[in-house]
Amino acid sequence: MSDHNLTHHHEEHEHHEDSFISKYVFSMDHKMIARQFLITGIIMGTIGMLMSLIFRLQLAYPDMKFPFLEGILGHWGKDGKLDPNFYLALITIHGTIMVFYVLTAGLSGTFSNLLIPLQVGARDMASPFMNMLSYWFFFVSSVVLLVSLFVDGGPASAGWTVYPPLSALPKAIPGSGTGMTLWLVAMVLFIASALLGGINYIATVLNMRTKGMKMTRLPLTIWAFLVTAVLGLLSFPVLLGGSLLLIFDRSFGTSFYLSEIVAEFAGGIERTGGSPILFQHLFWFLGHPEVYIILLPALGITSEVIATNSRKPIFGYRAMIGSILAIGILSFIVWGHHMFITGMNPFLGSVFMLGTLIIAVPSAVKTFNYLATLWKGNLQLTPAMLFAIGLVSFFISGGLTGIYLGNAALDINLHDTYFVVAHFHLVMGSAAIFGMLSGIYHWYPRMFGRMMNETAGHIHFWLTIISAYCVFFPMHFMGLAGVPRRYYANTAYDQFNVFVDMNQFITIAAILGGAAQLIFLANFFISIYKGKRAPQNPWNSNTLEWTAPVEHLHGNWPGEIPHVYRWAYDYSKPGAEEDFIPQNIPDAGQIDPMQEAEGLPEPSKKTVQETVLA
Amino acid sequence: MKILNLLSKFTLLVALVFNFHLDLSAQSAEEGKALYNANCTACHAINDKVVGPALKDVHKRREEAWLIKWIKNSQALVKSGDAQAVQLYKENNEALMTSFENLSDNEIKSIIAYIKTESEAPAAAANASVATTPGNAEKEETKSDWNSGINWLLFIISIILVLIITTISKILARIGDIQGKPVVNWNKTNSILLLAFLIVGLGAATWEFWAHSKHTIFSSGPASEHGGEYDNMFMVTLVLTGIVFVITQVLLFWYGFKYKADGKRKALYYPDNHKIELLWTIIPAIVLTVLVIRGLMTWNAMMYNKNEKARNIEIYAYQFGWNARYAGTDNKLGAHNFREQGKMNALGVDTNDVNAFDDVITNELHLEVNQPVDLAFRAKDVIHSALLPHFRVQMNVVPGLPTRFAFTPTVTTAEMRLKMKKPTFDYILLCNKICGGAHYRMKMKVVVDTKEEYQKWMNSQKVLVNKNAVNSAAVALK
Repeated sequence: MSDHNLTHHHEEHEHHEDSFISKYVFSMDHKMIARQFLITGIIMGTIGMLMSLIFRLQLAYPDMKFPFLEGILGHWGKDGKLDPNFYLALITIHGTIMVFYVLTAGLSGTFSNLLIPLQVGARDMASPFMNMLSYWFFFVSSVVLLVSLFVDGGPASAGWTVYPPLSALPKAIPGSGTGMTLWLVAMVLFIASALLGGINYIATVLNMRTKGMKMTRLPLTIWAFLVTAVLGLLSFPVLLGGSLLLIFDRSFGTSFYLSEIVAEFAGGIERTGGSPILFQHLFWFLGHPEVYIILLPALGITSEVIATNSRKPIFGYRAMIGSILAIGILSFIVWGHHMFITGMNPFLGSVFMLGTLIIAVPSAVKTFNYLATLWKGNLQLTPAMLFAIGLVSFFISGGLTGIYLGNAALDINLHDTYFVVAHFHLVMGSAAIFGMLSGIYHWYPRMFGRMMNETAGHIHFWLTIISAYCVFFPMHFMGLAGVPRRYYANTAYDQFNVFVDMNQFITIAAILGGAAQLIFLANFFISIYKGKRAPQNPWNSNTLEWTAPVEHLHGNWPGEIPHVYRWAYDYSKPGAEEDFIPQNIPDAGQIDPMQEAEGLPEPSKKTVQETVLA
Repeated sequence: MKILNLLSKFTLLVALVFNFHLDLSAQSAEEGKALYNANCTACHAINDKVVGPALKDVHKRREEAWLIKWIKNSQALVKSGDAQAVQLYKENNEALMTSFENLSDNEIKSIIAYIKTESEAPAAAANASVATTPGNAEKEETKSDWNSGINWLLFIISIILVLIITTISKILARIGDIQGKPVVNWNKTNSILLLAFLIVGLGAATWEFWAHSKHTIFSSGPASEHGGEYDNMFMVTLVLTGIVFVITQVLLFWYGFKYKADGKRKALYYPDNHKIELLWTIIPAIVLTVLVIRGLMTWNAMMYNKNEKARNIEIYAYQFGWNARYAGTDNKLGAHNFREQGKMNALGVDTNDVNAFDDVITNELHLEVNQPVDLAFRAKDVIHSALLPHFRVQMNVVPGLPTRFAFTPTVTTAEMRLKMKKPTFDYILLCNKICGGAHYRMKMKVVVDTKEEYQKWMNSQKVLVNKNAVNSAAVALK
């Protein structure tokens, strides 16, 4: 593919028209695949968000009837009341969609695909065909998950963590029937997609960098995507194994995860000798790195956006790489903090607690480095920049509550309460979504060749950050009062009645936040056709993707791939004419790209002319 | 006269019979109420569909004999092909109702009697049986209606506001295009909004602490011995993270405000400073070391809390309810055998183990104040989690994997009621691991008694195997 492009890209650009199918459907061009991932992710995200609004309505108004529910949910919303079993289905699918389909595939799939070849200076991914497969596995997986909404008994309802025996015994709840099987099938397909993508990302970053693109010159986005891909590659197979064993337990009468279950309840075969906790270990061995699979790309995007829009080099580039690596490594030895009170040996709990709190150190370093980057910057408060600042704010708010939950002793009373819901929706949900939105606003011109409407972007940001804080901040207090998550209603508990008003407030804020996303959706889809034409380098950025032509073409650059002479963060370098020096500009007299650029580039004639004219 | 006399006698008789009849139904409804609350509320309500269907007028819909069969073993009835049962099973998404084989016919009849009286009572009273007294329920209802009215109004106003903002911004953009420069300087506007967001946000957070802290479990203090240590640990963490939270958020938004581009300045080229970076690696590391050490001490104190004198109690969880099993006078819990679950032995207690004979099974958890207890947890079907928020106790309840939690309650229910100024307060044990449709109602009342109260209550409970029976069995064996 790339060889073909090397020789014929000019002709192809001018004369050769791809057929509709090979251009838009089974495309092997990484830029198109990125757009496919993004749009699928946005659609899944919209569905996931609408689900959350339905169950938020139930939580705020447990006694009220909403006749429209019967219209959209059928017998699950009989007489306008949401069925408790379907409530569980909604929270399960909401979690699954948001964690895997939006924040893993939608975020990492989109930006790794778009940026890795463009920023390292490659014509495409190492294997464009595998890349295409990766998207289509993801697509089929999404379809299977959505189909599971319509099967008898409803979709999987055991929570997105699908702990057995609840998920293993088809009789345990209605959602543990066909719906659960489809959930597992969807997950197996999803893992195939993630692995195909991940192998590709790693191979491309390691082998296909352009001349002069040393590892220490990579933009932080690429570092984040690389570590993310490694995490996925090492942890997703464990979940694959775990899921297969769960399928065995469900369908073939094995007892990997089952113990002391009578035959009557377990499909006629007595189950004994397994361990339900084993599944939790396997699940969280993926599940915890998964948190960083979601978060690291968002942090990488933020690093790039903050540096560009502060017109300053990112502070402590090497420390940032170090902390990405440290977080990546530590993320593999902390999974047990999800299981402090499962009856695991308390000594093991101590070990996991130690690891968990250590991970706060590199996280703190990242936060302080962001702050130092903003300090004495020349901030361009574009929508992308605002969302990046929002991410840092959420990362602080949600990260600090992690210190409570990572502490095994404190976790005893906080485990599985609304405190946890608040924690992960801030640090993983909101922060990563903000990273994704920041990336969309920043790289939209690169993706679609047009600009998004800035005013709508600003309004979108302000409404979203306000509603997100209004939704998740109060939840901490509910958690501290002992309100458990995944409750259909709190009406059975006298002492939780004080939170009726708070629950209504949260729901209204959530609906407003949802409405704000309509502004984004309209802006996104209208701008594809009607946005202003994008200039070559709208944000005056240093990275290589802005040197490629605005119009997409196979192979990315019409001529030779640019060489790289410097790191990605030469913003506002003293003495330089402009406040940015793109990576492909050599210093005066620098011939070898591998040589470090210490001085300044030659003043360009064009700029001089322009100054003269002005 | 004679006729009158006769008539009056007859009236008296009728009145007597009627009265008597009323009394009878009232009495059994009273008993039914207790049984209903203990066994049915997890999945059913009178007027609303919860997990199972609404029970209002169920005595009119079905025959009593059928109801008894259904309640005792719904699965068997469905399997037998009973048309009504199969239809009901399908209507409820093929979720089976728990079998209540331990309820006698008379007990079921009294539950039905209770449902009958509730069905006939006005709706308000039925509502009240869920949580509050009739007066309160009415007040609360009107209050929440009023509230939601205001909320929806707010919602509509906000939507209109959004629309207005969008239109105005469109007009401004057009004017800007005509004039050749943007009307709104978004860079400046955003920087001011960032500052405003910081101030309003910190204000709102402070207000939240002021308004909602009193609803948290920390406001009433711990009700267990290790709870004090727990609360201390929490407060230390709260203070430390609170300081970091304020400092970092203030810096973030302040920088956003202060360093906005104004077209006159160039940013400072400042890529590195190893000293500062080292500093802000080491300081968090030290703070976290303190927290880790403190946390490990608290954790170990809670987890390795063996006490010889602790009273052994087993907490048994099933979809959707709890039982407690007391070890009895020998303080030894009888072994269990999951194969024996069902029929007369809901908890699957090993009937061959002599230690089980004096065990006591209850629907409420009574604890004696200042008496250490060692709770052992066991589940029948899926994973549950026993959360006792006021005692700072939680442990998962896993089928096939024994778990424990030992602690000492220090405040009686009566004392806690006084402290909270809430005479209706009760400690609870609630399920905190997703377990199915009625997960959200799966709870058990917890009572902390004084020594005397505890003894009195314990004496009123049934021992698993009657002592006399044991003695005679022993004699017979000899």
